Amino acid sequence: MELIIDNLSKTYSNGIKALQNISLEIPTGMFGLLGPNGAGKSTFMRTLATLQEADNGTVFLGKIDVLQQKNELRQVLGYLPQQFGLYPKISAEFLLNHFAVLKGISNKNQRKELVDALLHKTNLYEVRTQKLSGFSGGMKQRFGIAQALLNNPKLLIVDEPTAGLDPVERNRFYNILSELGEQTVVILSTHIVDDVKELCTNMAIINKGRVSLKGNPLQLIDNLKNKVYQKTISKLELEDYKQNYQVISEKLFLGKPTIHILSDTNPRDGFVLVNAELEDVYFSQIFGNQSNLKSIA
Amino acid sequence: MWYPIFKFEIAYRIRRADTYIFFLFLFLFSIAGVEFIFQGADLGGIKKNSPIVIAKTMGAITGIFMILASMIMGVSVLRDFEYEIESLMFVNPIKKKDYLIGRFLGSFTVLLFVFSGVFFGMILGEFMPWYHPEDLVPFNVFNYLKSFLIVILPILFFGAALFFVTGALSKKLVVVYTQGIIFFVIFMLTKAITNDTIQALLDPFSLTTLSLATESWSTLEKTTQSIPMIGILLYNKLFWVALGILVLGYGYKKFNFNVVQTKRFKKKHKLTLKPEITNNDVAIPNVEKQYDLKSKWKQLKHFSGFYFLSICKQPSFWAIVICGMIIILINSVNLGTVYGVDSYPVTYFIVEELQETSMYFFIIILVFYSGELIWKERGAKLNLIYDATPMSNFIQLAGKFIGLNLIYMLLMLALILSGIIFQTANGYYTYEFQVYFYGFFLEILPFLTLYTFIAFFVQVMANHKFIGIILVIIFFISTILLSAFGFDHELYLFGGSTLGSYSDMNGYGHFLKPYLLIKSYWLCFGITLLIVASLFSVRGTETNVIKRLKMSKHRISKSLLTFGSSVVSVFIILGSFIFYNTNILNEYWTNSKATDFRVAYENTLKQFEYLPQPKIVDVNLKVELYPSTRDYTAEGYYILKNKTNQAINAIHIQKQIEANVTLDAINFEGGAKENTSYNVFDYHIYELTTALLPGDSITMNFKQTFTTEGFESGQSNSNIVANGTFFNNNNFPTIGYNRKYELSGNERSDYNLPERSNKANREDINELVNARSGSDSDGINFEMIIGTDIDQTAIVPGDLLKQWTENNRSYFHYKSNIPMMNFYAMVSGRYEVKTDKWLSTSNAKPVDLEIHYHKGHVYNIERMMASMKASLTYYSENFSPYQYNHLRIMEFPRYAKFAQSYPGTVPFSESIGFVLDINDKTDVDIAFYITAHEIAHQWFGMQVEAANVKGQHFILETMSQYAALMVLKQNYSEDKVNQFLEFQKETYKKSQQKEAIEEPSLALVEHQDYVYYAKGAITMYEFQKVIGEENVNRALRRFLEDWNTNHGKLKTKIDRYATSKDLLHYFREVTPEDKHYLIAQLFETVTEVEND
Repeated sequence: MELIIDNLSKTYSNGIKALQNISLEIPTGMFGLLGPNGAGKSTFMRTLATLQEADNGTVFLGKIDVLQQKNELRQVLGYLPQQFGLYPKISAEFLLNHFAVLKGISNKNQRKELVDALLHKTNLYEVRTQKLSGFSGGMKQRFGIAQALLNNPKLLIVDEPTAGLDPVERNRFYNILSELGEQTVVILSTHIVDDVKELCTNMAIINKGRVSLKGNPLQLIDNLKNKVYQKTISKLELEDYKQNYQVISEKLFLGKPTIHILSDTNPRDGFVLVNAELEDVYFSQIFGNQSNLKSIA
Repeated sequence: MWYPIFKFEIAYRIRRADTYIFFLFLFLFSIAGVEFIFQGADLGGIKKNSPIVIAKTMGAITGIFMILASMIMGVSVLRDFEYEIESLMFVNPIKKKDYLIGRFLGSFTVLLFVFSGVFFGMILGEFMPWYHPEDLVPFNVFNYLKSFLIVILPILFFGAALFFVTGALSKKLVVVYTQGIIFFVIFMLTKAITNDTIQALLDPFSLTTLSLATESWSTLEKTTQSIPMIGILLYNKLFWVALGILVLGYGYKKFNFNVVQTKRFKKKHKLTLKPEITNNDVAIPNVEKQYDLKSKWKQLKHFSGFYFLSICKQPSFWAIVICGMIIILINSVNLGTVYGVDSYPVTYFIVEELQETSMYFFIIILVFYSGELIWKERGAKLNLIYDATPMSNFIQLAGKFIGLNLIYMLLMLALILSGIIFQTANGYYTYEFQVYFYGFFLEILPFLTLYTFIAFFVQVMANHKFIGIILVIIFFISTILLSAFGFDHELYLFGGSTLGSYSDMNGYGHFLKPYLLIKSYWLCFGITLLIVASLFSVRGTETNVIKRLKMSKHRISKSLLTFGSSVVSVFIILGSFIFYNTNILNEYWTNSKATDFRVAYENTLKQFEYLPQPKIVDVNLKVELYPSTRDYTAEGYYILKNKTNQAINAIHIQKQIEANVTLDAINFEGGAKENTSYNVFDYHIYELTTALLPGDSITMNFKQTFTTEGFESGQSNSNIVANGTFFNNNNFPTIGYNRKYELSGNERSDYNLPERSNKANREDINELVNARSGSDSDGINFEMIIGTDIDQTAIVPGDLLKQWTENNRSYFHYKSNIPMMNFYAMVSGRYEVKTDKWLSTSNAKPVDLEIHYHKGHVYNIERMMASMKASLTYYSENFSPYQYNHLRIMEFPRYAKFAQSYPGTVPFSESIGFVLDINDKTDVDIAFYITAHEIAHQWFGMQVEAANVKGQHFILETMSQYAALMVLKQNYSEDKVNQFLEFQKETYKKSQQKEAIEEPSLALVEHQDYVYYAKGAITMYEFQKVIGEENVNRALRRFLEDWNTNHGKLKTKIDRYATSKDLLHYFREVTPEDKHYLIAQLFETVTEVEND
């Protein structure tokens, strides 16, 4: 099954163009969606999750018209929003059971079995009777994924699930995700580039409501092979370099700015060729100018 | 440093719409505030804008809308936690003192602005067109300002302090919502305090305080004097302000500025897990997903339970439950009180008490928890997860709806439990669970259910919790106002009317079926609203109303459509059926139509008021009662006699103006032609073929039918009922113009009708010849055969000549042995009977005594029987012999709360004597007293009638009070008599203060019952103490001898009835010359009753 998004657009009433003609074909497996804050990722995810109306375009999951047959989609949808709360005074087991009922799992015994399995899976079984108010951020996120998996979804949408998690929790969370079968379309939005590299077979970068890049992460990295150069400079020089080179990223290394630039030829001048990372791909899309984009495509 | 915080708070609130909405709401409400608060209350002579009225209205409005104060003050600090910016706030270099003072003063300023809506609204209200100039005193803005400052400001300060502190300390929104109830509880608790001063001191809204402070004021003073800022009112206000300061101080101390977060963390013990467990081998089982109706049904049950439990987990709910139970235990100390004596804690009394006191709690739950439930997912930020599941909006909404209804039921069960505890504690073990059940689940639950539909609908549509709450309250108020203005048809007044009273004798009687039908009709309406709400409800992130409208059409699933259209069909069918019943089978009159009719009646027919007409001298009827179908027929004749000195050509007959009464087969001996000009008014003029000459008589045959068809809108006739029928001959044809159909009260001037006095002057020649208003008889020979259902006994005046059954019905033949007044009641019910005989000392023939009572109501039968004997003995020995061979008391349902004397018969309401719990140590034997009073009417009323002029009730009622008092004195200790008189004094004082018009003297009393009952009893007791009981009795004996309707020495020679002037003449005769001033003082002038 494949998720086919064609020409999806959405403009908010305040004039912000959140989605502009987005077209994507997303196969089963993990699909990473990268983009800076405010790029339209959440709008895009919510639209796919039937929670928001689009102005134009179509979305199909197999035969399901996502924008029209909302209820049909919801039957095969798992969704973990970017931010959510939990009822403080009830237990994980109780709430998970509650969501299972919502998702149409009517048989009591089956439901119990399923809830137990998911609690085990997300390593929450031991705390299943504790009140949710005591849950840490990581536990909460794991509960969120348990909830999303209840109906054995064909489409799983997880919106920035690891924001605010410590590295251990992050790994734990991704372990759960990575186990999902090949039968499911999993869309993972994040602004942590490494997440995508580690997990996703396909990805897209969204910026200012548009898809600026899509493809296989390794492929995309390969496109930048022999094009990314690095140099450590002093702060005062930064503006000059920005004038003269295609600076795609600047970060501090031991307190000194280190810049990456994009160049088809070796610029010399103290620059060192480095292995392109996915981060370079990402930054080249966000901060690189149009001419550079073309050169990659 | 607090100033910038103060400024920020103000600036923040200025930009928020709810500030203005709250203001506008109070403003608009206050325009009609006086009308709403004082609706139905008799203000007496006090004007609608008197300072005391303004002050009380302001107090009450503040009380009702204290909840607004909690919404404004409570969120002031809480807001920072809600929006999770507290850590940003508190790291700033601001001091706790500045933060709290700034926030408090800022919000308090906003609160004052909002409540200034009351001030401006009430001022504007004074200029509303619904006031007549005579309702008002000249406008004075200071009255409003003073009330605002004295009544509103202090309590607003206390409320502000309390709500601010609870909000800041609890940091929970739901506490903020529900804390208004704390106030109400305080208020209710103060109501239960018996000590007036303490109650007045503690009353937060100063209602009782104001009453106490102005207790000794005359009507004029209350109208004009501004409220006294001294004494009790001052202390009351100081108390609440001081308490407010205390609360603020406590809050200041407790509020933790730095460690708010740590404290929060302490509470939850951190959950830890064993570090790494590999769970890769857990297989997720494949489960079946179902989306069919059966699964939807399971979901509905699950949701209902889930939301029910979610409210059960709120401490605020349990606070409400416990308060409800406690308040009732405190409050129901006084039940069904008659003359200061409480009734047995019979279940229906308890239920009524519970209903009354718990209503506010139910409404709070309804208004607030409906908001809570609609916003539950969004409040917990779980909405997006919910919205992405394949659940149906309708199922979820319906689950919330049912959950809330289950909450009502839980509270009801708790209340029933407290009622049972109360009964048990009082040693009463006849619990009557069905009465409890009906009282709550039949009377209250449908009301709540229907309004919950509204609340849900409004919350979904408004999509703003506070605005939703306000809109729901507005809906409540407008429904009340709509019905107050007479727009009360069951089909459009939301929810229809309430269920009629429950009576032990008649259960819910005929009220139940239409009630259930009408509730079902509205239930269908409510379900439709719920369906519509489910289509419009917010799902996902789209909140724009127009977008939601557009989306709604995609939301209708096939099964929901089927369900919806069948509900709408049932709604239409039920509506049509109700319309058929109320408007086609029966007539529906709006208030204005009824008023117009009365005006037209008077304008057209007043010309006939004193037209010479013959008098009824003979009544002979066969009445067939059909209690089970609520029908009757009355067939027979009147004999009419021309007692005037001129020939009468036409006879005017007034049929009872009621659509289900038909008068057919009317004919006159000798023939008559009907003039139909006034048939609109059911007023028929029969032009006799041969004129009726003075002294001649004519027979008038007629047949009247009363048919109950279907049911009417509103409360229908409660006289002719399945068990306990009680109606009198006013329902039968009468002769001539009927004053009772005229418009009465203030409304008359709106229709250019002349002012009319309640009672004619003592010298009015037209009324001196009438013993009753529009009287068409001076006494009749009476004979009646009455048939009823086989298991019932039918009772009318007269000796029972014969009793038989025929066609499976019971028949009774009554005939009066002597002429009697034309005033008889027909009573029928399933009775137990207690019989006895009374033998007078002079007359050898025994009098048959009977008490017909409802099975089980045996508590006071012995007392009543004892009273019958004692009264008959005293009156016949001291006044004159008893005139009939029988004396019967018949119990009737508590649709009316009185006992009334007819010749030889006394219908006696279920609620006033039969279930009184008389404690001989502490109470006066009121069952005994009331019986004695009613029997006294066999003399004062039956033997002697009084002219229908001022002072009439001095003769009829005051003398009966005197007579009963003497019997009480003879049979009980002096303490009891004094206790009774003390109670009469209180009654008199209380009513006198409420009285609009100046108090008349006893000799010229009109309809002021506090004068002819209460003051009458006190005065006559005084009088007999001075001149001697024997002398008073001698005067009454002479009076009766001279003015007896049938054979009075004077009465038979003079063409008028006795007046108070005549009676006082006999009093003077027995009073020594030097005490004559006393008669003038006691009876002819208005003298204050002294407290001794």
